[in-house]
Parts: sequence; C-alpha cells; structure tokens
Amino acid sequence: MVNTALDIASAAKRKNNRVGYYLGKAILYLILILGAVVFIFPFFWMISTSLMTLGETITRVMLPKVPQWQNYITAWNEAKFSKYFLNSTLIALGTIAGLLFTSILAGYAFGRIEFKGKNIFFALFLATMMIPESVTLIPNFLMIQSKIIPLPGGSWMNTYWALTVPFMANAFSVFLLKQFFAQVPKELWDAARIDGADHLRFLVQVVLPISKAPIMTVLLFAFTGAWNAFQWPLLVTTKEVWRPMMIGLWNFTSEAGPETHLLMAGAVITLVPILVVYFITQKQFTQGIATTGLKG
Amino acid sequence: MLEATTAEKDVKRKGLHYLNIREQLTGYLFILPAFLIIFIFGLFPIAYSIYMSLFDWGIVKGKFVADKNYIMIFGSWKNLLIILVGIGLLIAAEWVWKKAFRSNKNGEMIAKLLGAVVLLAGGGLFVTGWMQMAESGNAQFLNSLVVTLYYALGTVPAEIILGMVLAYILYQEIVGKEIFRMLYFLPYVTPSVTTAVVFQIIFSSRDTSLANRLIGWFGADPLKWRFEPKPFLNLLGINLKGFLAGPSLALISIILYGIWSFVGYNTVIFLAGLGNIPKETYEAAEIDGASKWDMFKNITMPLLSPVTFYLMLIAFIGTFKAFNHIYVMRTPSAGVSVVTASLMIFDRFYKANQYGVATAQAIVLFLIILGLTFAQNKLMSDKVFYG
Repeated sequence: MVNTALDIASAAKRKNNRVGYYLGKAILYLILILGAVVFIFPFFWMISTSLMTLGETITRVMLPKVPQWQNYITAWNEAKFSKYFLNSTLIALGTIAGLLFTSILAGYAFGRIEFKGKNIFFALFLATMMIPESVTLIPNFLMIQSKIIPLPGGSWMNTYWALTVPFMANAFSVFLLKQFFAQVPKELWDAARIDGADHLRFLVQVVLPISKAPIMTVLLFAFTGAWNAFQWPLLVTTKEVWRPMMIGLWNFTSEAGPETHLLMAGAVITLVPILVVYFITQKQFTQGIATTGLKG
Repeated sequence: MLEATTAEKDVKRKGLHYLNIREQLTGYLFILPAFLIIFIFGLFPIAYSIYMSLFDWGIVKGKFVADKNYIMIFGSWKNLLIILVGIGLLIAAEWVWKKAFRSNKNGEMIAKLLGAVVLLAGGGLFVTGWMQMAESGNAQFLNSLVVTLYYALGTVPAEIILGMVLAYILYQEIVGKEIFRMLYFLPYVTPSVTTAVVFQIIFSSRDTSLANRLIGWFGADPLKWRFEPKPFLNLLGINLKGFLAGPSLALISIILYGIWSFVGYNTVIFLAGLGNIPKETYEAAEIDGASKWDMFKNITMPLLSPVTFYLMLIAFIGTFKAFNHIYVMRTPSAGVSVVTASLMIFDRFYKANQYGVATAQAIVLFLIILGLTFAQNKLMSDKVFYG
C-alpha cells in the first residue's frame, strides 16, 4: 500500500520532470530558431527584393508575384560587374597565394624552430593586430605612391600590387598556424630528422598534409578579407583597371538610386562567391577555430 | 671514462653549435617574408605617422610645426594634463576604495569615504578638462570619440551576451546544431559592404521600409532611422541633453547592424571554448546535486572567462576600427551623429587632404586604444581564470 503510493508519487514526479524537460527544450529551440530568423531574414529579404519589379519594391510585398530573373542580368551589366568580378577573383587568388606562403613558413618557424629573439618577433607580429587601420592607412597610401621609399616600377596606384602585396601577411594567420604546428608531435620530427629531412621537407611532406583544417581557416579568412576589402581599394583605385567588386557595388548604390531591386540583385551577386567558399570550407573552418583559435 | 665523456661532450657541443646556427638561420629565413610585409605595412607606418603628425602636411609635406596638430585637438596641453590627472584620480579612487586603511579598525569606512571623495574629484577634473578641450580644441574630433564610445557600449555587451547565450544553448543536445552554427556565422563572413547596403534599405526612412513596418506591428509611427540625427531618447520624449541624451537613432541603426553582423562570430568562438571544458567537471557537479544555473555560474562562466575576455578585447578594438558598414550606412542628414573616430580621421585625410591633422588624430586614437586595452587587462585580470 505504502509502496504503491510512493510509486505513484515518483511516477508523477518523473512525468512532471519529463514535461519540464520538454518544455525547457522547446524554449531552447524557440530561442535558436528566433535567432536564426533574425540572422537570415536580411538575406531572404535581399533575395526576394532582387526578384521584384520596381513597382513591387515600392508597394513592398514580401514576395514577388513573378520572379524577375532578368534583374540579375541588368544589374550585372549596369554595374559593370564583368570587369570587377574578374578583378576581385584575381586579387583574392594572389592574396591567398602570398598569404599562405608567408604565414605557413612563419607559423612553422614560430611553432617549431628555436631562434634568438623569437618571442620579440612574435610579440611584434601580434601587436599589429591591435593597431587601427586609421594609423597605418595614411603612410601606406603615401608608400603605395612610391613617395616614402622608391617602389619597383614607380607608383602602385591602380595596380594589382597595391591591392595584393600589403595583405600577403598578417599576424592572425601566422598565429593560427603556429598554434597548430606547435602541436605536431615531436616524435614525427625526430623520425624525419633521422631520415635526413630538414625543416622545409618536414614541413612540406609531413606537417602540411595533416594541417588541412587550420589552412582552410586561413584560406577562408583570406578570401573573405580580399573579397570584402573596401577602404583600401577606395583609396588606391581611381580607375576601373583594378577596381574590385565592393567598390563596384558601392558606386552602384548611387547609380541604382531608387531602383532597389537592381541594387539588391547586385548585392546578391557579390555574395555568391563568398557563400560558395564558405559552404565548402565551413567544416574544416569550424574545426580549425576549435582546435587552434583558442588554446595558448 | 671521464675523458671519454668530456671528449664526447666536446664533439657534441661543436656539432650542436653548427646545428644551432643552421637552425637559427632557418628560423630567420622562414619568418623573413612575413616579417617584411608586416614591418613595411604594419609597423613602420606607425613611426611614419608620428613623423607626419609633426608637420603641416597637406598632399605634400609642408613645414615642421612641432605639436601644433596636437594642440588643435586638445586646445592646450594643460587641458590634456587636467584630463590625465582626472583619470589618475579615478584609478587612485578605485585603489583607495578597495585596499587603503585596511590595518585600521574602521579602515573600510574611512577608505570608502575617502575613495568617494577622490572619485568625485577625479570625475570633476575629467569633465572640466573635457569641456575646456571641447571649447578650445577640436570639438568635432572629441564628438567623434563620444560617438565611438556610444557605438562600443551599444554593441560590445550585447554581442558578448547574445553570443554566450546562443553558444550555451547550442552546446546542449540540440538537433541541427551544425546548421544553426552555420547560419549564425553567415552575417560575419558575408561582405560588410553588401550586408550594409541591405541594411541601408531595411533602415530607410520610407513608411514601407522593413524597420518601419516592424515597429508598425507594435503600433509605433514610422521613423526616419538612418536619416535621424536626433538622440533616440529625445524621440521617446525623454529630454536629456548633451552626453546623457545618448546615441542618435541613425547611430542606433548602425549599432543594430553591428550586433547582427558580429554575434555569430562570438557564438562560434564561445562554442569552441565550451568544448574545451572537460565534461567530467559537469558530471562531478551533477553528482553533488548542482542545478543547471549553479553549474553555469560556477563552472561555465569562470572556465570560459579567458574566452570572454579575449572576445571583449577583440570586439572593443573592433569598434575603434569599424569603418566599412558605417561609411556605407551613413547619410548626410544624420550628420556628425554617426561619425566615429575612424570615419572622422578618414574624412580629414581623404576629403580634406589634411594629412598632418589626420595622422595626429590617428595617433591619439591609437593611444586611447592602448590605454583602454591596458585598463581592461588590469581590471579584468583578477576576474579571469586561466585554468
């Protein structure tokens, strides 16, 4: 008798707990979904607007009646994206190649080689992360015009070099790779050394193949950095020759004026390459952040 | 036996010496490419900025003017001195409040009284110095610092809290965790010019703009958003003046964009940080009968504090660097109410071609960032728990 009463009580409690559990879960999912809606809605809204007619953008329906795909072609032509798209792609590729080269070497040196003044150099590198662009922008602008030290080929205004070379190394990438490289077991290096390998061969044949995650992270950040660059290109491109995508979009905001559907179509176009690269590298990228971004 | 070891040691030392030099050279060689670029475009420009700030520098270098560009900011060095003494007193007040007279019996009360007095004095000096500076120095630049402060206070805490909440929820057993994380991170990786262009239209002053329709659901009248230079509080009917009036509605639009674009980054980093907390800690606490909230407060928060500190630092420095989205979202009618320090400096340089003045302002901004970072380090050091 007493037993059953206890049983009933505990069953009720369990049931209560379970209700509480599901209620709690439901609230959590609600918050998460609400968050997702807030983060995604501007993108949805951008795409939806890009497919509207001019009339629909003014009356502001949520979805276009008939998707106006030709908006994309109009925007592409009016904003002269053919040229800028190619420019941005080439700039991103050049920057990434340079950045990977410099930061893999430096990251390896900081992570695995003992040399005098290493800590000082590393501190100098890290210090640059704190420096606001406002301070470096003006001297760099003069530098690029060959006004401080003579540059090969004279002024770099409106050249490929001005848009790539200054971004071919940064402290963040070096730091990220250093963190990862330093964790490579010492036994691997000892074994490689017995086989007569030097640092360069060890780096290329052993370390790089197991470092996909951090390299992808660096790659994603380098690509988005190059593709999203705005302030610097605004300064150093006065002609169309090497003007990148973001400056094109910025100019298009004034040209498109009230034609928000075209502007949004242009905006979507600038977004596509980033989304493609993000979805490809996303897994390694989060892994890279998790394993290297924090420790140390 | 003994001889053998010394001989062995000798050989070893010579060999090591050779190896060591080789090793060192390899090290230098490996960092050389990165160092060259970072030095030329990241470190050298600081020194050159200081140099430029001492000249009457237009598009070309003019004559040496010593501290004139700085005087233009501060009005006079005396003003700066008053402010610095004020800040010094504020720091001293904190020390007195917490540490002084502890040997005395009534020490704590004396210390708190004295601390309060010093605090008032410091605050008074700071405000006086600031007012004098605004009068005789560059009021526009000082205003841009206030705008930057509003922007920092409006974005950083919200970004940290939202990021932590979302990360903590995602860390539970959640179906579709990866998808949520991916979506949250999207605003951070997408180009800021692109998304700012979208927010330009979301926060437009049209009656049918998304922002106006959203507040319309709650029965509010349409607002001018990006075009509204009036402080938000004044629009609500709270008539505060000066600093207390707070950011303009235009700046709030930009702050909302800032939060939207940055929360995902914090979430991802927090999530990684949570992953580093050993599961056993929670299990042990659960056995001891700790509630979820206890665990969050006593395990998660302290063990996550280095990450929180790192993110706060990054976010704070980030607000001083913020440029692209503010440049894209600003409107002429919002005027100086959205011009942060980095935009101010850019305009001085790019539109007005006053390179000397602009570099002096940039150096001041840099020193402020250094000071704040240092202060943040000091203040937080006893609250951060390094495992």
